[in-house]
Amino acid sequence: MGNLSYIILLPLIASLVVGFGKLGANYARLIAIAVAGIQLLILAKIALVFDPTQTGFQLTESFDWIQLNLGSLGHFVSKYSLGVDGLSIGLILLTGLVSFVALWNSQDIHEKIEGYYALVLLLNASLMGCFLARDMFLFYVFFEFMLLPMYFLIGIWGGPRRNYASLKFFIYTLVGSLFILIVMLGIALAYMDPNETAIAFPNLGFHDLSSIQTALAAHEIAPNQIVHSFDLQVLSDPKNCQPNNLFSPQSGFLLGGLSGRAWGFWLLFIGFAIKLPLVPLHTWLPDAHVEAPTPISVLLAGVLLKIGAYGWLRMAIPFFPTEAVDAASIMAGLGVLSIIYGAYNALAMADLKKLVAYSSVSHMGFVLVGIASFTPEGWQGAIFQLLSHGILSSLLFLMVGVLYSRTGNRQIDNFSGLASKMPWFTVVSGIAIFASLGLPGFSGFIGEFFSLMGAFTSTHLTPIYAILGGLGILLGAGYLLWTFQKIYLGSYFVRESTWELPDLTLLEKFSLFGLGILSIIFGILPGIIFELSEIFVTNSLNLIFH
Amino acid sequence: MPIQTIFLALLILPWLSAGLVALLPKKVQVNASILLAGLFTYLAFQVGHMPENITSYPWFNLGGKAITASFWVSKSAQLLLLLVSIVALFVQIFSKSYLAEDPNIGRYYSYLHLFIGSMTLLVLTDQIYIFYGAWELVGACSYLLISFWHHKEAAIKAAKKAFLLNRIGDIALLFGLVGLSQYFGTSVFSAMHGSAPAIIGIAVILGGIGKSAQFPLMSWLPDAMEGPTPASALIHAATMVAAGVFVGIRVFPFIGEEAHLFMGTIGAISLVAGAFFALFQNDIKKALAYSTISQLGLMWLGMGSSASLFHLYAHGIFKAGLFLTAGSVIHYLHHQKATHHVDAQSLHNMGGLRKKLPLSYIAYLIFGAGMLGIPFTSGFYSKENIAGYLWGSAQHSAYANYYYVLLSALALGMGLTATYMCRQIYLIFLGQNRGGHSFEKSHNEWLQVIPISLLLLLSLFCWISMNPMDAHHSVFLAFFHIENYHIPGFWLGITAGSWIVGLGITYLTRRWVPAKNYQFLGFIWPSAYRLAWYIGQQMQRFDARIVDRIVVTFTELQVVIAHLSAWTDRHLVDGSVSLIASTSRVLGARLQTWQSAQLHRYWFWVFFTLVFILIYLLY
Repeated sequence: MGNLSYIILLPLIASLVVGFGKLGANYARLIAIAVAGIQLLILAKIALVFDPTQTGFQLTESFDWIQLNLGSLGHFVSKYSLGVDGLSIGLILLTGLVSFVALWNSQDIHEKIEGYYALVLLLNASLMGCFLARDMFLFYVFFEFMLLPMYFLIGIWGGPRRNYASLKFFIYTLVGSLFILIVMLGIALAYMDPNETAIAFPNLGFHDLSSIQTALAAHEIAPNQIVHSFDLQVLSDPKNCQPNNLFSPQSGFLLGGLSGRAWGFWLLFIGFAIKLPLVPLHTWLPDAHVEAPTPISVLLAGVLLKIGAYGWLRMAIPFFPTEAVDAASIMAGLGVLSIIYGAYNALAMADLKKLVAYSSVSHMGFVLVGIASFTPEGWQGAIFQLLSHGILSSLLFLMVGVLYSRTGNRQIDNFSGLASKMPWFTVVSGIAIFASLGLPGFSGFIGEFFSLMGAFTSTHLTPIYAILGGLGILLGAGYLLWTFQKIYLGSYFVRESTWELPDLTLLEKFSLFGLGILSIIFGILPGIIFELSEIFVTNSLNLIFH
Repeated sequence: MPIQTIFLALLILPWLSAGLVALLPKKVQVNASILLAGLFTYLAFQVGHMPENITSYPWFNLGGKAITASFWVSKSAQLLLLLVSIVALFVQIFSKSYLAEDPNIGRYYSYLHLFIGSMTLLVLTDQIYIFYGAWELVGACSYLLISFWHHKEAAIKAAKKAFLLNRIGDIALLFGLVGLSQYFGTSVFSAMHGSAPAIIGIAVILGGIGKSAQFPLMSWLPDAMEGPTPASALIHAATMVAAGVFVGIRVFPFIGEEAHLFMGTIGAISLVAGAFFALFQNDIKKALAYSTISQLGLMWLGMGSSASLFHLYAHGIFKAGLFLTAGSVIHYLHHQKATHHVDAQSLHNMGGLRKKLPLSYIAYLIFGAGMLGIPFTSGFYSKENIAGYLWGSAQHSAYANYYYVLLSALALGMGLTATYMCRQIYLIFLGQNRGGHSFEKSHNEWLQVIPISLLLLLSLFCWISMNPMDAHHSVFLAFFHIENYHIPGFWLGITAGSWIVGLGITYLTRRWVPAKNYQFLGFIWPSAYRLAWYIGQQMQRFDARIVDRIVVTFTELQVVIAHLSAWTDRHLVDGSVSLIASTSRVLGARLQTWQSAQLHRYWFWVFFTLVFILIYLLY
């Protein structure tokens, strides 16, 4: 057991203690925040020992978990194996940070408090598991498991239409998981794990990777002697595929004009696109956000959405690299569609929280445009955008929460001129809004800029995608400045005279300004993040283009 | 101090000043801020006479390439730096008196330092990423300063409009800069040599249109006059708006003649249109805003050559002076308000002010002479220089006739400029007061008089050359590597003609005062805004009624199928009474739990079936 396991086990155990320990509301809150704090410390330690110059996974842990003999189908192995690399290091740090901020700002939860904190801790554990798993089956377990706390968190502590919203979230995500499950089982059946095979059948006499792969290609290994596994690295090497299989590059399988591998890519792509969410698969997001309590919106936008892009970068693209590159134009087109469509919808929103939700759709579109460029700039920009959006969307949703907790309302038209009553809140909202509209000096700019730059200079895309994405930057400035002007500037006005609007409490200042300052630091010194993911990006792109 | 330390201090000081001024107690805020601006000016002068050099600091790595934070102390950067620091210092001193009664004056000073910091970055950087960053930051500072009086509806609308119209240009600039770095394989300006394709050059130039308020994105600048007047003097007259010219200067050596001519054409249209619309303004600040558009057009007509740079400097000084003088006129009228309730910016309330404000009158005359390009002012040299550049380029170009067209546009623009300037001086200071007001005599505000007087001195000829008619052998021009372009003597006749035309038209139309402020291309903004709004509404309707509806219908279809299968199960497949009973119980439960998590059971069976199909397909 190493640090990575502690990251997952700590909140898991704490969740049981908080959920079943009958400790009372205050202790539940205290324990939850303390656990999130300790988790952050462990994460800080991991970040310090993490070596950004090293290729592949680090701090790896591996234990045998499931072994299954399926007779003529061969053997199945799934392991509890964890690891962290340049892609996941940033995301686990983000998860730790956002969870801490969400728990910190949960003081407005007044019912079933123990249950609430237990579920948030559970959610945290499964999110960490998703980012740390090196085994696709393990990833899938965490991925599915995440639904449970999220469903209840929206369904119990949500707004008036919480049942509808939580069910919609549930069904959407489940459909996505279905696609992922199909590909997962299919590819695991089709691929052989060379290491496990060599270990399980020493009598075959294989000692190096290429000889066993050659033997596989030449039908020299009997099906019942093949060991299948869900190891991400094994599944990322097409040479491990059995010949004449649906997923083998040489198979002549065609369905609807797409090869088996293309089907695999698209199913995985769509499965994860729902999570991102990508237009037109996004309609669960505004509902879920509007109904979710503030800290859950923070977690949802800050971390959950990132799993979509993580899945593409970790699975969909490395498993089916050629098919992914062939799909570059379609991917970039969908990304641009998300950017513009999300921005236009945000422009039409009267509810501040819905506006922020659609702005998430728009901002996540940049991630896909960056990925579709298949250039180091675009990928770095996309990964940076994931982290930056994690910080900024948390900040924006907390901003909405400040208004909502004071008035129980968040219609943009109901507020005006808050600058004169709430100067601190105006300053930090100004930071959030200018950072989100991509002002240089803040993190949002770096992510959008390099995603678009990748798309502009990519040999796989025409520059038109980048130029249309640039239009999204313009629209983003439009709806965000409009919001800032409406709510904060002008003469003071609120719809109900009974609404009291005291300025930020110390607790709120701490988290809001903390996130704002973080965004400025990353905006001025983007190298901090680029350095972490540099090797991952160059290595992944090398594997794609050999 | 070693030169490197001074340089670094210059880059960092304004940001620290902004924070410090915001945090200091109210009593000392303003004086501390002016002191810091003075220190900044001192550092700027130190850097201003450094030899040209490039300094790089490590910044970050991307895709195996090291991106450095590199700065280029070039001649053009030094000249702009001096201009920014001088005008900023004077504006800070002036504002102490102008905004003395404002309770949020500390915030205002803090914004000014933010602007100085961003502008310094913009001028000195060699790295396209920092350049673009600083470019956007000056726009954001402009937003903050225009909306400084944030309870004024017109001010906050103007601020938003300015930011968004600027952003249209910014996107073109973004692609232009990335295009340059792709083409030359480097992201620093100083390493770009050769000739880039016209399309990239034009994209960069398009980028400058928003910032310099050139045709057709000009309508934000007159609106931006809602901000405090001294801030307008600094950012909307002398420095920020000139950033659009500066980008032209930076890329001048390598964008090719087509892009140069494109820049010149936009400049010529803006020069003439801006000067023409300056005639039809009732508000003196708005008239000065159109005058700025027109003068920036003149710099664009110089196509980014050293003639543009020269006029940028000369114009920066006298236009800042004009704005501050107009500010002190407004300040004076504003403080009559208690007795007369007048609109302090309207020409309707002016006329005959020369007796009340003799110093402002003299200042307006001299700065106005600079605008007209009358000898003994620096404006004379810089205007002749632009004409000389166009003439000289025409002599050995395939597009000679086009240059002559631009030259005639320049002549037309000069006539219009002389007209609106003379008219403005007449309508403010000469004749009788049109409002019938009799104002009390002003007591001189020294904090306003001193900066204006110093700007007056700086706008005279002697700093450039001792010969008022010819800038030959000028130390100033030689130091800043500004070429002295020559034009034959006939042009002096045209220039003099423009003065006569201006004075003549002013005399003939002296009784006419524009009734309101007429806008040039004013419709672009509201229609663009409404269009975006309309599309947004339609998309939202589409999203809710179609995209979401499809998904929901599809899901509901699943339930219908489930019910059908349950019905089949009950009635057709199984006849047994007891089983019917139990199935209907299940159905009832399903009906009730449709709104709950039970649904995932359906999906479980769907998974299961699909997995089996898959295994079947594979083997």
